[in-house]
Amino acid sequence: MKNYFLRHFQTLFFSLGQLWSTPVATLMTIAVLGITLALPAGLFVVLENAQQASGAIKDSAQISVFLKKSVSESSAKRITKKLAQNKNIERTRYISAREALAEFKKYSGFGDAIKAMKKNPLPAVIIVTPKQSAADPETLEALLKTIRNNNQVELAQLDLEWVKRLSAFLVLAKRGVWLLAVLLGLGVILTIGNTIRLAVTNRRSEIEITKLVGGTNAFIRRPFLYSGLIQGLLGAFGAWLLVQGGLLVIAEPMSQLTSLYASQLEISGLDGPQTGLLLLIGASLGWLGSRLAVGRHLREINPT
Amino acid sequence: MIQLENISKRYPGGHDALKAVTFNVKPEEMVFVTGHSGAGKSTLFKLITLIERPTRGILQVNNKNCNKLSNWRIPYFRRDIGIIFQDHKLLLDRTVFDNVALPLVVSGLNHREIQRRVRASLDKVGLLNKEKLYPLTLSGGEQQRVGIARAVVNKPPLILADEPTGNLDEKLSDEIMDLFYDFHVHGVTVMIATHDLRQLKRLQKRVIQLAEGQLVYDSENDDEYNAQ
Ligand SMILES: Nc1ncnc2c1ncn2[C@@H]1O[C@H](COP(=O)(O)OP(=O)(O)OP(=O)(O)O)[C@@H](O)[C@H]1O
Ligand SMILES: [Mg+2]
Repeated sequence: MKNYFLRHFQTLFFSLGQLWSTPVATLMTIAVLGITLALPAGLFVVLENAQQASGAIKDSAQISVFLKKSVSESSAKRITKKLAQNKNIERTRYISAREALAEFKKYSGFGDAIKAMKKNPLPAVIIVTPKQSAADPETLEALLKTIRNNNQVELAQLDLEWVKRLSAFLVLAKRGVWLLAVLLGLGVILTIGNTIRLAVTNRRSEIEITKLVGGTNAFIRRPFLYSGLIQGLLGAFGAWLLVQGGLLVIAEPMSQLTSLYASQLEISGLDGPQTGLLLLIGASLGWLGSRLAVGRHLREINPT
Repeated sequence: MIQLENISKRYPGGHDALKAVTFNVKPEEMVFVTGHSGAGKSTLFKLITLIERPTRGILQVNNKNCNKLSNWRIPYFRRDIGIIFQDHKLLLDRTVFDNVALPLVVSGLNHREIQRRVRASLDKVGLLNKEKLYPLTLSGGEQQRVGIARAVVNKPPLILADEPTGNLDEKLSDEIMDLFYDFHVHGVTVMIATHDLRQLKRLQKRVIQLAEGQLVYDSENDDEYNAQ
């Protein structure tokens, strides 16, 4: 048993030595693998962050309740207070028609045009902030219904349609990334397969002689499998560097962008388990690509 | 040790390299196989080591039925045969030591045992002081002896040598043949393909002659030869 592990260890070092002896070719393979793996991993990270962001935006959703023109200021305030008692509502803010107009003048730049109007075209608004616990779509929908049932309400609007659309898109995009990941995984297998095929060809006579002195196929395969595994692992590590480095580059502008929508959104890269998974996938694909290539080409080398 | 019964070999392309060859080799025997170029000597060795499969006939080597031996058993089967090739088949990027060690490495021996046996084997062929050299820095005769050391390092009961003295001078040829003779004396079955009639005369061992893939002479059935 001790011998068994020792032999594997020796083979591992032998494979490392073989890779080391052709540094340029090895680096190139690893770079190709790194880029190939970085693409789906990077997209995955971006989508993950986007999903988190859209979730945060959803949490900060507000409902704008536009009151009918006929509603008097005092009854409007009463409605505001009553709404504030709803168990799903965090707080409410009443903006009278006058205040609304002032705000609009200030921010819209249409100040002069509005001054020319005889009557205030804007209705009074109650800004309703739902509780965090009520942030899921169903509860929000129910809340909206309750508010709309009040016949003094002209229109209650949850500005969430686009967030919903975004998250639906994100689900779709994630699927797309998985599909891409599968294709690029295939690419990794083919890349490794090709380098291993070359290695097998280069060492054809060695393989032949090893077979002639009684080396089993498993024995002959072993260094190639290690070689594929190591290259896959290093490629995955390269991909990790690319993803984390890329995130550093876009972190600043990204946080500026997201701060417009929701406060304190941290961009998160690949965490421990995700990094582990990436490395595992890289190593497995390397092993698999090597196994497929070496199995195929070993059969072509006589003798059996 | 080796039993052939009506062995025929047709290569892809239709050439019949061996035609219904029948003979037996007893354990511990020493046999020369001779015949013109293209007679089928190498083909015969390839069949015995399962590098090629016979097209027809029954083949037994080392009490194993080669017709029925499945591919995955072949490596284990070959570990009991020491094969010496005319073109050495040495690994040029490995030292003499590593070349000779290869049969032991593939069967998973531990390092100390490998060292002991490789040294013993190199000692036998007189190359102990060259273990760190690479094959290309050796003379033709020395390379051939590295091949022999590798073939016997496993202590196989059967040694096959395909023209081991192909292009060596008389003195070197004698030395190498004497080495094989020595293995034979120590109980190893030895089969040697050669064109070298001088060696056949010198060693007076059994001779099998092939021509056009057919067995045309076997000294075992030649009372005159055996009487000498
Ligand atoms: N792989 C092969 N495919 C087709 N024909 C082959 C193959 N190997 C050998 N032959 C043919 O089979 C015949 C016997 O070849 P073989 O190598 O056994 O002869 P030999 O007796 O060893 O000759 P030599 O003394 O020149 O080594 C030859 O005609 C050769 O061309
Ligand atoms: Mg030959």
